[in-house]
Amino acid sequence: MNIALIPQYHENMPRHQAEDIARKALQRLDLAHIANKRNPSLTDEERFCVFLLRAVMVKNALVIIDRPFKIIPHLKDSAFIFQALKKIDDFYITCHIYDYQWMAEKYGEI
Amino acid sequence: MYLLENIGRLGVNSTKSVVDTFSFARKVIFRMFQPLTYNSAMRMVLVNQIYFTSVQILPVFLIVSIVLGSLLIGIVFQLLKQLGLTDYFGNVLMGLIVTELSPFFTVLFITLRSSSAINTEMAVMKVNGEIKTLETFRVDVINYLLIPRIINGIVSLVLLSSLFSIVLIISGMLFSWVIFGMSLDVYSNILLNSANFSDIVISLIKCAVFGFFITLIPIRYGLRASYEFTSIPIAVSGGMVSVFTAIIIIEVLSLVTKLF
Repeated sequence: MNIALIPQYHENMPRHQAEDIARKALQRLDLAHIANKRNPSLTDEERFCVFLLRAVMVKNALVIIDRPFKIIPHLKDSAFIFQALKKIDDFYITCHIYDYQWMAEKYGEI
Repeated sequence: MYLLENIGRLGVNSTKSVVDTFSFARKVIFRMFQPLTYNSAMRMVLVNQIYFTSVQILPVFLIVSIVLGSLLIGIVFQLLKQLGLTDYFGNVLMGLIVTELSPFFTVLFITLRSSSAINTEMAVMKVNGEIKTLETFRVDVINYLLIPRIINGIVSLVLLSSLFSIVLIISGMLFSWVIFGMSLDVYSNILLNSANFSDIVISLIKCAVFGFFITLIPIRYGLRASYEFTSIPIAVSGGMVSVFTAIIIIEVLSLVTKLF
């Protein structure tokens, strides 16, 4: 529910309203079941999605992902990352991913 | 020469630390009086903090205050009877036990339980980078983390100290009946005659000041931790030593205030 803190704090909205927003955002990524889990009990994919949702909770979000494979190192390609971004594409204005040149093959043809 | 240098360095560092603490305290007090500080997220943290410090502790605190209070009252009343100072028992009960010992025991209890927890929590948050994350998301650390804990310290100390005093007065009623054979009417009459309004106000102000500093100092020391895990025990031990020093200083200052 750390995701809910961002709209709750920035927009001074009641807790339940902020939690609703966060829960709906998690549902989009089919992760509603992790709503009350804490960081150490999340899988790498879940943690990446939580980081992503937390980042897009601000108004007019510009997302910059620095080396996503550092968070989810076992992924063979970037399909999961782009699918997650696609599911919530109305939450942010633009998204930039930065990574090392030698990781280019993991991203394939973009 | 080397010794003088060390004494000088210690003096300069201590003065700098005290000045920093007061400057930080001024900033926090200023924020406490700004309506914008009290947003939804802050209020949620405040309620949680009051629950952790004042409500969760209640069963243990009540048991400790009943046992300790009864013991204290029993010993003091027995001693007064042996010395033939029965007439002064009201003054001793109100002037010493209720207004002096009650805030002191409460502050020791809360310091051992909550201040150490706050100090560790802050240091761990700093080491884990959680403070930095909050700042990245434009969440004001002072408003969101610090002010709720400090207000909680003030509220909890005042309430728990009052509760401790009530327990002491009730045990006093019981012991005055057992030891002196005193009726409830006489007891309440003596108690009301011995109660000094200014002493009670000073005692409550002292509780609020205790509450402020036993949360502010651990927070400050916790935030001084570096990004290494080894800095956590250093921050916690330094913070706790400073808290106990502050408690003694406040206690002495309140005694000095009473003299004038």
